[in-house]
Amino acid sequence: MPLHRVEVGARAHRFPGRAALTAGIVAVAAACCIAADGPEAPSPGASRGSADVASFLDPPLRAAWQEAELKPAPPAKDEEFLRRAYLDILGRIPTVAEAREFLAAKGADKRARLVDHLLEHVDYPKNFATVWTNLLLGRGRQERNVDRDALASWLRKQIAANRPWDDVVYDLVTATGSNKENGAVNYTIAHLEGDAVPLTSRSTRLFLGRQLQCVQCHDHPQNDWKQADFWGVNAFYRGLKVEEKRVADAAGLERVDHVELSDVPTGAFARFDRRNGMMGVAFPRFIDGRKVDNPEQALRRVELGKLIVDPESDMLAQATVNRAWAHFMGRGFVNPVDDIGPHNPPVLEEAFEALTEEFRASGHDVKQLIRWITSSAAYQASSVRPAKKEHPEDELFSVMALRPMSPEQLFDSLLTATAAHRPGTGRDDARRESWMRQFLFTFGNDEDDETTSFQGTIPQSLMMMNGDLMRDALSGKPGSFLADALEQARRSRRPAAFMVDQLYMAALSRRPTSAESSSAVRYLESYPDAMPFLQDLFWALLNSNEFILNH
Amino acid sequence: MTPPIITPRGMRRRHFMGHLAATALGIPAARFFADLRAHAAAPGRKKPKSCILLWMSGGPSHLDIWDLKPDSERNGGPFKPIATSASGVMISEHMPRTARQMHHLNVIRSLDSKEGNHERGTYLMHTGYVPNPTVVHPGWGSTAAFEIGSRMEDFDLPHCVSINTPGQGAGFLGMSYTPFMVQDPNGTIANLAPPGDVDAYRMDRRLQMLGRVENEFIRQRDAAPARDHKAVYAKTIRMMNSKYKDIFKLDSEPDAVRDLYGRHSFGSGCLLARRLVEQGVTYVEVAMGGWDTHADNFEALSTRLLPDLDQGMAALTADLADRGLLDSTLVVWMGEFGRTPRINQNAGRDHWPRSWSIVMGGAGMASGQVIGATDRDGVDVADRPVGVMDMIATMTKAMGIGMDTQYTTPRGRPMKVVDGGTPIAELVG
Repeated sequence: MPLHRVEVGARAHRFPGRAALTAGIVAVAAACCIAADGPEAPSPGASRGSADVASFLDPPLRAAWQEAELKPAPPAKDEEFLRRAYLDILGRIPTVAEAREFLAAKGADKRARLVDHLLEHVDYPKNFATVWTNLLLGRGRQERNVDRDALASWLRKQIAANRPWDDVVYDLVTATGSNKENGAVNYTIAHLEGDAVPLTSRSTRLFLGRQLQCVQCHDHPQNDWKQADFWGVNAFYRGLKVEEKRVADAAGLERVDHVELSDVPTGAFARFDRRNGMMGVAFPRFIDGRKVDNPEQALRRVELGKLIVDPESDMLAQATVNRAWAHFMGRGFVNPVDDIGPHNPPVLEEAFEALTEEFRASGHDVKQLIRWITSSAAYQASSVRPAKKEHPEDELFSVMALRPMSPEQLFDSLLTATAAHRPGTGRDDARRESWMRQFLFTFGNDEDDETTSFQGTIPQSLMMMNGDLMRDALSGKPGSFLADALEQARRSRRPAAFMVDQLYMAALSRRPTSAESSSAVRYLESYPDAMPFLQDLFWALLNSNEFILNH
Repeated sequence: MTPPIITPRGMRRRHFMGHLAATALGIPAARFFADLRAHAAAPGRKKPKSCILLWMSGGPSHLDIWDLKPDSERNGGPFKPIATSASGVMISEHMPRTARQMHHLNVIRSLDSKEGNHERGTYLMHTGYVPNPTVVHPGWGSTAAFEIGSRMEDFDLPHCVSINTPGQGAGFLGMSYTPFMVQDPNGTIANLAPPGDVDAYRMDRRLQMLGRVENEFIRQRDAAPARDHKAVYAKTIRMMNSKYKDIFKLDSEPDAVRDLYGRHSFGSGCLLARRLVEQGVTYVEVAMGGWDTHADNFEALSTRLLPDLDQGMAALTADLADRGLLDSTLVVWMGEFGRTPRINQNAGRDHWPRSWSIVMGGAGMASGQVIGATDRDGVDVADRPVGVMDMIATMTKAMGIGMDTQYTTPRGRPMKVVDGGTPIAELVG
């Protein structure tokens, strides 16, 4: 298995030596600037990754389907694949131009080329940084002094450079310094309340795929975890020093400028109430039982970081692979995605193990992981059900699940389809921000792991149907998609057909069927004022299940 | 057909679909939703039960409202008890209007809820369960909406509404039973009307076009999310077109009624709650904030909190009784916990879950009673301890919901609506 990982900075840094780490960050930042400023990267083609598509994934998948007597869905059509790849990798649907370009492309490897292309697109790091910012901080109310943008921007740089994921995780766990300068610091300072209990449970869930929070208060009823295991990990978070640094602002008033996070060696331990009423005491101890030598002198988070990314352990790789699989497929091999353990066996165990092993061998190469997943028979399957069946929903990924867009995907997709934020010239960022806030308020529910059920509410539907964003999107103002399309149609040989085509491509990334097209075209050819009709059609497409469900 | 939300096992699927049937829509929309129409109408049924929860966010000082301790030198505070319309039941002098309605209500003075943290107490009092990292329990209101509301056919309004608060979520019962939030009972519902240039003709055309795309997508991909999307839209469109869509506007109420309830957010919320249960909404929560009185408790209560509470609660109780709705409407007053008997140095009271009071009445339960008691200083329960699950059991029984109702959580574990509690026999025996 060739390694395709971009080497940025020395991986040796995790075993002390912090100079290399700093150098790594600088190099990453530089690499990112080039990626962002340069012309859009050409499709790298088959030279990296696409040759070794997931040949190791498909045999276990097909064997499992056969054994379960499942007739898998037919392969996804190009239109289906295109839309889901954009949504999953870039966090938005394709523009009309992007869709047309892919659909017109030739070659058996065009899907692999598309994935390679998307992985080099500026929206890829932006999207994954958003996803991980939500995972690391939650969407809900935020602790004072947490700089969300700094964390998102830090993540964007790591992801753009495709840093090995274990390096990223190590930096998140051990981050020190100013939360403005080092965005990774914000993860830790966001969850320190209550003796860092939230940080303990979030770190084990996100980085180890283990839900230790149940054993905060009692031993686990279904596996071997004990209450002391939770507090053993919690004890790594003793000795943290958080300082608010103040400066005077223009008016001469002191305000918090940033927060400095540092580690101070300590002899402190975690105390906890046992069920029998006795007090328990825990020193740093990892969940596999390993302890820290000299916990009084060690920088405990550094020790924790080393244990989490220890190449001998497969917990981080499992957690990453399972979460990535769920990102692309709607469900993990193990569900809930962060509850891996003997009490909760995976489906498709062989595929899960193979993917975890390859991911580890690749040096935690996230882009390569995405190439493997997106080229697998499971991701390539259509969401169209093969036939009427007793249980059309199966757990073995033989049919692509329907997945509601996240609030961010929905918002960015609406703007992609309608260009509502570009009236006249340029974009109206203030307006975009205000819509985004309304959207997240109405659509955001914090940390919802359930991604394969549609949980819309009446206020959400009302917002989609009658809200400000939709109103502006359909207004037909100059610069908007509708206005542009109308303008282009005037120069087309068959303006009505062109218009209808454009609307379907913009909203649904596919051409209309002949039935869908013909009635609309007939109407448009009989009535001179097309705008209200086009508005209504576009409204219907944007409000449909086909639009909002990633399929 | 698979139910549109995660199925609590053992539920009748028809109930999921019952509320989706369309009535007040134009022809194209009716066609759009025809396949969602429920099967049979249920003729001549009694008015289904409803519940109005008056939620005192922050933790109300029960000892200054429902369980005064004039004989306790240390803990009594300055307020005096007054007699009420229920013989032998005394409440605070700052609740004179409610005092005249106490024959409709009951005070439970011996609740021990054990959770003294706002978030945990709020969760516990709404669900009956302490927070548990492995499952998000549905709020009891969502459970009631699911059990009662979802059996109604041709119903245009949400079954679960919360006013001045997001309310408790529906957990695994799904977003269809998540409270529909009214942020401001004196305002309007956001986005309820289409833009001005979209008239009925165009709206019908939009729905017709939408129906075509949706139905084709469902035909090809017959999976729950595709159907659920259509179901939520159906519900939304019904509300937009409903003859009840003006139900959220209080302007149509006579001035005298509005003034009786009070035009503050709590009073208006109570009035809106009455309007909603009158139309058959199963669960309405009306929140009132400001009860976390760690300092200047008595000043806050006598000048701000109790006047508004008294006005809204009394008007609501009397109005429900006058309209014959109280027999089918459970009224419950509570917060996340009570407040300490001890008065702190800031003339405030702190969090106290150990022995405090809640109030409930209506829905056919006995009334005018006091259940349980605290000791002379209000510290310990002296008689008839009541737990949170006993309270949930009482409410569940009063609403006519099966006491053995049980769901299976998404992780495959059973969850009982009433888990180990006993209904208070004096009320619902």
